[in-house]
Amino acid sequence: MSFFSRLFTKRKAELDEEIQAHLQMDIQTRQNRGESPKHAHAAAIREFGNVALIEDVTRETWGWVGLERLGQDLKYALRQLKRSPVFTFTVIATLTLGLGATAAMFTVVDHVLLRPLPYEDSRQLVTISEAGKKGVNGGTPFLDLRQWKQRSHTLQEIAFYRPTNHISFLGGNTASTHVNAPEVSANLFAVLGVQPAIGRGFDGQSDGSVLAGEAHNIILSDPIWRTIYGSDANILGKIVKLNGESYVIVGVMPRGFTFPFGDAVPHVWLPKVIGDKDMVRTPNTTPNYGVIARLNPDLSLSTAESELKAIQSEVAKDYTDPYDRERISSIKLQRYDDTLVGSDLRKALLALFGASGVLWLIACINATSLMLARSTIRQREIAVRGALGASRWRIVQQLAIEGLVLSAIASALGLGLAMLMLKLFERGLVQQFHIHENMAANLTVISLLAALTIVSALLCSVSPAWIAARSPIEPALRQGSPQSSTGVVQYRTRASLVVLQIAMSLILLVGCGLLLRTIYALRHVPLGFRTDHIIVANMAIPAFRFAGQNMTTELYQPLVDRANRIPGVQSASLMTAVPLGTTFKMQFTFSTTGNSAAEIRRRDLVSQFRVVGPEMQRVFGFRMLKGRFFNEGDTASSQPVVVVNQAFAKQYLGTDQHLEKILGENLLNLTKTRHTVIIGVIDDERQVSIVKESQPEIEICIPQITPDTLAYQSVEGLNMDLAVRTDRSPSSIIPELRDLMRQASPELNDSTFTTMDQVVEDSYGSQQLAARLLILFGGSALLVCITGIYGLLAYLVAHRTKELGLRIALGAQRGHVMWFVLRQASWMLIVGSGLGLILAYMTSLLLRTFLYNITAHDPWTMGAVTAFLVTGGLAASYIPARRAAMVNPIEALRAE
Amino acid sequence: MIGRNRYKNRIELLQGTLDMLILQTLQWGPHHGYGIVQALRVHSGEVLQVETGSLYPALHRLERQGWVRSEWKQTESNQRARYYRITAAGKKQLASDLSRWQHMVEVIGAVMHRAPEGDEA
Repeated sequence: MSFFSRLFTKRKAELDEEIQAHLQMDIQTRQNRGESPKHAHAAAIREFGNVALIEDVTRETWGWVGLERLGQDLKYALRQLKRSPVFTFTVIATLTLGLGATAAMFTVVDHVLLRPLPYEDSRQLVTISEAGKKGVNGGTPFLDLRQWKQRSHTLQEIAFYRPTNHISFLGGNTASTHVNAPEVSANLFAVLGVQPAIGRGFDGQSDGSVLAGEAHNIILSDPIWRTIYGSDANILGKIVKLNGESYVIVGVMPRGFTFPFGDAVPHVWLPKVIGDKDMVRTPNTTPNYGVIARLNPDLSLSTAESELKAIQSEVAKDYTDPYDRERISSIKLQRYDDTLVGSDLRKALLALFGASGVLWLIACINATSLMLARSTIRQREIAVRGALGASRWRIVQQLAIEGLVLSAIASALGLGLAMLMLKLFERGLVQQFHIHENMAANLTVISLLAALTIVSALLCSVSPAWIAARSPIEPALRQGSPQSSTGVVQYRTRASLVVLQIAMSLILLVGCGLLLRTIYALRHVPLGFRTDHIIVANMAIPAFRFAGQNMTTELYQPLVDRANRIPGVQSASLMTAVPLGTTFKMQFTFSTTGNSAAEIRRRDLVSQFRVVGPEMQRVFGFRMLKGRFFNEGDTASSQPVVVVNQAFAKQYLGTDQHLEKILGENLLNLTKTRHTVIIGVIDDERQVSIVKESQPEIEICIPQITPDTLAYQSVEGLNMDLAVRTDRSPSSIIPELRDLMRQASPELNDSTFTTMDQVVEDSYGSQQLAARLLILFGGSALLVCITGIYGLLAYLVAHRTKELGLRIALGAQRGHVMWFVLRQASWMLIVGSGLGLILAYMTSLLLRTFLYNITAHDPWTMGAVTAFLVTGGLAASYIPARRAAMVNPIEALRAE
Repeated sequence: MIGRNRYKNRIELLQGTLDMLILQTLQWGPHHGYGIVQALRVHSGEVLQVETGSLYPALHRLERQGWVRSEWKQTESNQRARYYRITAAGKKQLASDLSRWQHMVEVIGAVMHRAPEGDEA
């Protein structure tokens, strides 16, 4: 810079010399003509014109002037801002809030809605599911999807995979890593348009299934290759153990690739070799697959869907059972990326992003209002600059740069604030939006922030600058009388800005109020179980270690017994998934045939299915309506028993009267010879989520599950929660429980611990997150809005001190003067709230997906929030009103 | 505010013509700014009075475009002054300016001197 400025100074001096030479020559010529030196000098200068201005205009042709001016303006702006720290602080704080909130929300939107999937042309990827009377099915049998493959012309290629719902363990005997190991068809990677970075994919047949010779090959994901194998370039052909079985590594996928998308656990992929089980359609034993296909470019989703529906009507003919046929009669086609973020979530997220945008607007409006006030104070300065020859554009430019400096500082701070917010809300965000990568601000976010910064600067500085630059110079230059007509115009402009702020703040506050009511309602939902003093451990079960053994007696029973012996533990028990837990879901459907009304009803009954230990009632305090809960007498050798809940009994019986009739019924058989009977009905409890009414549920007793029972295979190795009721604090007991787990099997050390209270809270996480964000946004908006009202009225009072003094001197009551100021505030509050209520009425519908037990237009909430805002506003205006009433007439008039 | 516009307007008004006149003056030999003003005044029979507020920006612009080059020299009266000299590119520019100017004069002349024939019909 110093080189540049030196060069610049030199050229400036040269120009000056050039012009001085011109003048000298002119003077010399005039003197030679006989004019007196004094006269010649004056005439030369007169003829030449404004030296400074000509130099200025000439320098402009050099093309550096813009830059030089920028530097000057920057320096000047910083000096100005330093001179009024309160103003600077207020504007920067306001803008920081607005920009920070928007940047944080945009980071989330960017990660959730705008993230590019790591596949080629990912918009062409679609998932295909069978659907029918009971809704969309979770998976498709191979026989069905093979027909789609053979017949479809709208889809380029159809691949399938079998997602796993349990953790797999990769590695040796001492340290093993959790992985997700889906089985995939040979063409899956080709459909996704991604090839292995090292090695090859699986070789397959034309139907997509992998050749039998590949059954013990495995493909690794990039993170596994890097962390476990240290990016070993000679990895191919090495043997790796997965769940105790050996596989040969044949490929490594490129960095960033993951499938299915959105899992937190890193992947390895196993080959799907089609077996005998795939060649039949037997409910509960035939494997079901997720199907993903690539749509032909230029074809719409609906074209493909109607083609597949036509094919499906042929497929359905292969189903002999009319009931099964109904379940698969139709097709649902969805774009893959749409399946990752539900439309509700998308809307909710955009609503929150919108809320942050409103906060940003409020911040900009407040900054504008402040800048406007400042430009009034600086009117004289601006007028002087105009009189000295500064163009209107130049003045606007200078003030715009001040705005830019302010917003640039604010956005730097805002970025920090955004990161802080993301950190604070991390848990909620990860849970709701399944974001697993680090949410740092990326280029998209930074550029948006930069754009917002510039827009903010323009919004908040240019209009005041424009007004200031346009105002006539003379009256401002004349000493005194600040109560000019421009003052009135400015007051009105600022009053309208405050009204806008009030209206927008009300939008946020109404949203905030609605969510607080929702949270309150959710907290008071009767759950049907106790949540206090319960520790929950989600076990990382190494099922492969217990192959060929009875896990119930080898792992679970000893574990529970030892947990129960820990001092301070009142009772401990196991359950496949605690109520409201999100780790595991299992459903039970009846496959009885028959056409009586009762049988048809029972067939349509979809029930939650849980395996529970007998001590669980003591842990959760489930209330028995009829019969009894499991007890120690229910063992592998005793009569198999089940417990159902009230919702189940109601649907099963078709009535809520005489629920005891269900006792003794046989619902399912553990094995061919062991028929269960219902021994109890428990009161309804919320299992899926707090907002969802209790679902029908069947529970069976852990000790009765032996390896020969059907439920054993499908349940025991997959998921198990240990629930412990204790008076001890979580931090003191969790290490002991973890020790206990590790002693049972080293892999269990990785089990995750939480409290039941936390599980409950997580289950309304989306509302909680929305509420917290809106409290933050609404609170900030309220604060900004109140400072806006206060600032404007303080300005009004300061501006009219003389007039107020005169009024008081002429006998006006102080109360009357106070009322004069308060009237201004009431007027703004009333108009602002009215406008805000209309806006809130329109926008609160966007929050509908979050709300529970309250309508989006709840009049009580709207009324209460408005009252709150008006009270706050009046409180803020009380201070200037009091100051107005306290004006000492003698002092006010003496200032004249 | 007003003063500035006065210069600006003149520059815009004379833009093409002033450049041409300056280049033409420099064809006769290197000159300093004052010399150019005097030369133009003399050669136009005291009619053309070039504003200094237009001249200096124009000179610096021409230099930036590479049509003139400048150097500091002593005048006959021992005054240090900046002399401008036309470059080869400047000469080419002058030729093209001149032909354009002539063309414009012809065209405008043709329009202005056209007999009002057939207007009655």
